[in-house]
Order: sequence, then C-alpha cells, then structure tokens
Amino acid sequence: MTQIQNDQELLELFKNPATKEQAFTGIVKKYQEKLYWHIRRMVISHDDTDDVLQNMFIKVWKGLENFREDSQLYTWLYRIATNESLTFLAQQKKRSSLSLSDDENGLSNQLKSDTHFDANKLEWKLQLGIQSLPEKQRLVFNLRYYDEMPYEEMSRVLETSEGALKASYHHAAKKIEEFILNH
Amino acid sequence: MEKALEILKELQNISPSLAEIVKVNVFHVPDHYFEEIPNKVLTTVFLHQDEKITDQKVPEGYFDDLSNKILARIRNSNIESAEDEIRAISPILFSIKDKNVFTVPENYFENLKGKIIDKLSDREAKVISISSGRKWWKYAAAAVVAGGITIGSWQIFNNRSTTENGDKVLTTSAKIPDYIKLSFQYKTPEQLENGIASLSNNEIATYLEKHGNIMDDDILANDIDPNELPDTKDYLMNDNTLNNFLNAIDLHDSNKNIQ
Repeated sequence: MTQIQNDQELLELFKNPATKEQAFTGIVKKYQEKLYWHIRRMVISHDDTDDVLQNMFIKVWKGLENFREDSQLYTWLYRIATNESLTFLAQQKKRSSLSLSDDENGLSNQLKSDTHFDANKLEWKLQLGIQSLPEKQRLVFNLRYYDEMPYEEMSRVLETSEGALKASYHHAAKKIEEFILNH
Repeated sequence: MEKALEILKELQNISPSLAEIVKVNVFHVPDHYFEEIPNKVLTTVFLHQDEKITDQKVPEGYFDDLSNKILARIRNSNIESAEDEIRAISPILFSIKDKNVFTVPENYFENLKGKIIDKLSDREAKVISISSGRKWWKYAAAAVVAGGITIGSWQIFNNRSTTENGDKVLTTSAKIPDYIKLSFQYKTPEQLENGIASLSNNEIATYLEKHGNIMDDDILANDIDPNELPDTKDYLMNDNTLNNFLNAIDLHDSNKNIQ
C-alpha cells in the first residue's frame, strides 16, 4: 500500500487534486505517532494532544501547497507541531491567568491526576522533572531524549543554534537529575 | 542504533543516574486511537472547511459578483497574497520564510542572473522558432555570426605576413576553420552584410547552439536596464516572472549591436 511512501512522492501526489486526499492520509499515517508523542509530552493530556494534533494537521492541509520543498517535510511537521503545542500552552496559560511557574505546576498537577500516576516510580519522577523545566528546555530535552533527534535537525525545528541546543540539553538533564535526587 | 548509542553516551557523560533510568512510557492512549486518526483528521479538515463557509453571513448580491471577484483575485494573485496566506495560516512558517531555514548557497544571488540567462538560452534555443517574428533573436543571432566572422577575419588579417617582395600571404591557412575561411570572400562591410543575410535560419540556430552563450549574455546585458529587472524574489517564486519580463522588454535596440 501507500503507507511507506517517501515524502517526495507524497508531496507530488498532494499537488494533484485527484490524489490529494490519498497523499494527505499517507502523510498523517506516516507521521501521526511521532507527532502525537511530541505533542503529548508537551501538553500532557490525551484530549489536549488530540486537539493540537488535529489542528496542526488542518494547518498542514492548508499550508502544504505553499510548502517549500527545500525544507524537509518531517522538519516542517515537527515545527508546526511544536508551534501548535506552544500556542496551546500559551492559550491555556492565558485562560487560567496563571504565571509561567504556576503553569508548569499545572502540567505537573495534570501528571499527578493521571490514574496511573505513582509518585514512587522513577519514570513518573522523571516526567515530573521534565515538567519542571522551562518550555524551551523541555522541548529540547524531549526531542533529544525521546525522539533522538540530531542537533542539526533540531536546530531547524527550533531555529536555535546547535551549540545553544547542546547547552540547553545539558542544563535540562542536570536539572532533571537534581529533581529526581531531591524528590 | 548508532544514533541511540551516541545519545545514551552523551547522557551518561552529563548524568549517569539519568542514563540508568529505563525509558518507560507512562502515558496511555485509548485503544485504536492511531488507527482512527487519519479518518478523524480528514473529517475534521472537511468539517472545518464547511464551518468556515456556513459561519459566514453572505452579503446581499455576494454570489452575483463572486465570479468576478475570484477572477480579479486570480489576475492579481502575486507573491504578496501567498505570503499573506501563509502568515494567516502559521505566523511561525511566515517568519521562517525569510530566515535561514531556507539556506542559500554562498554567492547564490551573485550568480543567479548568469544561471537564469544560461537556462534561458538553453530553453530559447529549443523552443523559439527564429522565423516566429521575434526579431531581436534573429538580430542577436546575426550579431553572433557577424562577431564570429569578424573575429575570424581579424585573425586572418593578423596572420598575414609580408613576403620579401611585399605580397601578403596567409601563414596558417592549414589550421583555419571553415567558418573563418568563409570570411575570405567578404571584402567590404556590404559583402559581409549580404553574406549574413544569405544564411538560413537553421545555419544561424546551429551556430548559436555551438557558440552563442557568451554573446547572448552580452547582448542581453546591453539591452536590459538593471533597474527594470524583476525582483530576485519574484523569479524565485514564480517561473513565469522572467519569461514575462523578457517578453515585455524592448529589445529592438539590439540593432545597435549588429555591425
């Protein structure tokens, strides 16, 4: 089937009105899980992730015709997902009129309210540690730690120099380590 | 995976204790969620589009004028509207557009003109019929041929040496190419002009394909006012921009180049 088509083929199919939907479905299928987890680790709740994921794909549908193919589709999608996640978090912050640190606590509270949450388990401590980071550091940590994204690619997604990303990852890991040790 | 190992080593250097933690996914996803996503997203896309239409109140007479408005937009559609569109869809994508996301090779813009003209020369050589009324091209062709013949003549004259008794002779005739030999018969500018006039379009086209590039650049460069050139951005975005520009510019002054 068309599931593992390469990006170039998918983009070509998208240009043709007769195969536009088929191409779009191919793109969704190919990237949905990676993007879902990228968003989920930022916004925490499944329902919010689902909203953000759908919104980002609507933007992909609308923007793909203008997509410049000198940029990688994968990078472009990650960038939209990142932007949509940050926009969502900013809106949430605005809605609840919380300060940045309160918002981080809000995400931590969401983690704690998860039915599977277990404060004694290391993996949950790790999640709480990640949520204690500022947004940008959290993004960098997640992209490197979970998505194993090379710095070169990450720098295209986050528009930050590789050096700054390395430093950011270093600080993030140290902070999480400290958090785990102290909790 | 090598990449994963590399990342693990990096983390071991930063925080050995963190590197020890086994990666466990603490989050849960509803059953069959990923199987349903494509259909769900497609439905949302279309519902979203419908919403946009039904939410709008239609002003009186809107549909009477709609086709004209659309046609006007098509006529006026340019890069700015595409920029506006992407700005509305995603401000971050818009901001990326002019930043170094789309990296440009070193000296790209300096070399762009030459590249485009080279491409244009190739395209024109294949597509344009010389007898199709595009006079400037014919003049350009004639100029190139005249240039070739004139240079040939000049070489010949400079290669003539004088014998002891004062007669001029050719010293390198064995190496002279055919097209230069042709120039021997043209003793006066009138004869040269008549000679050029007698060349067929095919002969000119064949000559241009072999020797035309340098002369094309010069002729175009002389006839184009740099201030009138379309913006670089324009022809990066739209292949037709340069064609339209070339169709629009006045090249009848190419006559000046023909001697």
